[in-house]
Amino acid sequence: MTAILVNTLRKRYGAFEAVKGISFKVPHGQIFALLGRNGAGKTTTLELLAGFQRPDGGSVRVLGLDPVSDRAAVRRRTGIMLQEAGFFPDLTVRQTVDIWRDFTSAPRPRDEALELAGLGGKATTRVRQLSGGEKRRLDLALALLGRPDVLFLDEPTAGMDPRARLDTWQVVRELAGQGTTILLTTHYLEEAQRLAHAMAILDEGEIVAAGGMAETLAGLRGRVAFRLPAGVGPGELPLPVTFDGELAVCRAGDPDLAAQALLSWAAGRGLRLAGLEVRTATLEDLFLDLSGSGR
Amino acid sequence: MTFAATYRLGTRLFWRDRGMLVGSVVTPVGLTIGMPVLMRNVAPEGVAAATQVFHGMIAVVLAITTFMTTVVTLTMRRDQLVLKRLRTTELTDGQILAGQLAGVVTQTVLLVGLSTLAVRVLAGVPLPANPPLFAAAVVTGAVVMALLAAAYTAVIPRAELSAAFAMPVFLLAGVGAGVMGPIPLPSFARTALDLLPTAAVADAVRHGEVLAPVLNLAVWTVIGVVSLRLWFRWEPRRSSSTS
Repeated sequence: MTAILVNTLRKRYGAFEAVKGISFKVPHGQIFALLGRNGAGKTTTLELLAGFQRPDGGSVRVLGLDPVSDRAAVRRRTGIMLQEAGFFPDLTVRQTVDIWRDFTSAPRPRDEALELAGLGGKATTRVRQLSGGEKRRLDLALALLGRPDVLFLDEPTAGMDPRARLDTWQVVRELAGQGTTILLTTHYLEEAQRLAHAMAILDEGEIVAAGGMAETLAGLRGRVAFRLPAGVGPGELPLPVTFDGELAVCRAGDPDLAAQALLSWAAGRGLRLAGLEVRTATLEDLFLDLSGSGR
Repeated sequence: MTFAATYRLGTRLFWRDRGMLVGSVVTPVGLTIGMPVLMRNVAPEGVAAATQVFHGMIAVVLAITTFMTTVVTLTMRRDQLVLKRLRTTELTDGQILAGQLAGVVTQTVLLVGLSTLAVRVLAGVPLPANPPLFAAAVVTGAVVMALLAAAYTAVIPRAELSAAFAMPVFLLAGVGAGVMGPIPLPSFARTALDLLPTAAVADAVRHGEVLAPVLNLAVWTVIGVVSLRLWFRWEPRRSSSTS
């Protein structure tokens, strides 16, 4: 069953068309990543899904409900972590969570929410003294208070250190494992690749690529890069290459196989392939391909 | 439960903010009690003058403790994106605003009540002849001023400018209620000032009038509600370049 449905959605601000008729859906219990550069329309889409604004065209449904006209009903079952939202700087973490529990119908116990977000040790710290990453954790704790069925995360790990990021990924995975549907925006492509079951890449308000994460990655070409040995022309290589600075780059569906072919060719001539690097395809390759294709 | 929750939030934060307390409690209460006490001691018709000034000062309390406090806290919370975060909760927009406004109204009513007792003791100002009318005027006046203040935030570009934007309202309310001393005014200006909601409250409190103040406040309520619906902003203006 579909938890989030976006159908030919449009939104404009004056002359600027932020979202130009996009459609996608997210089944229950899946993690869906919305990717794109700054200004691509990710946050606008999320705010339309949150019901903060009315679409200019098309529709959004969350758990079958219209988030604008059925906001109260949608809110009881969703958690929202905005990219930017304010706290009361003079309250402590504990006071902040307590106040927010007051606004929630069946809230998690305070300490459970803090533990989930990894803030257990910061309960008595004032919000103004938290680091950027810790504020993101508090954002997450508040978004999880109502045990939401659907969770919207706008750049959830921005400003977090690597440890905190891994912790947050773990929480997100566990929530999805328990059946929570999660829509996240991020410009950390690795984050999307590691977490999401499916994704859509937005560019200038349109979806330029979309699909299941595994299938998308399988359809991409990996790369083998190395420095061309002195005195060898690219035409002599067994596989076609392009150049990225002084690195020769060979794109291949199976980069391991391509690397073997190149290495045995080099061994036959007594050459070394210095700086050899073999990489399976990543979302970043897709992303760069898309932004390099004249967009 | 949810309206009560925002109400508690607003009240709790109000009493925590020491800087705000000076502006919205200490100064107006000091003036509201101090001016009548001064009048009592320097004016020839001491008690009458003190009473006259005290009733006028209620308009000033409505302009500062109700109007200015609401304008300043709402624009600040709007610009800090706290209002936006509140909208991610189960609260409806109406509950969020009503909770914030009800907190300010309570504080205003408490301060007026306290001042009424204080000037009775310190300046001999008689207690209200018609307590229910007095209370109704103060409560209704505070609700209308809070509502208008919320609507007024729409024209304030940034939180730093909120006190400056509230200042003219304070001056008009003060002049209109006659607490700035005798200022010669052309008759059209006098008429205009009499149309202020604070003037309606002062009228009701001073002369026991009912009908005209009720009409006046009803019209201002409609103006406030309609402008809120049309123009209230929950977050700062954003540039079109953000996603």
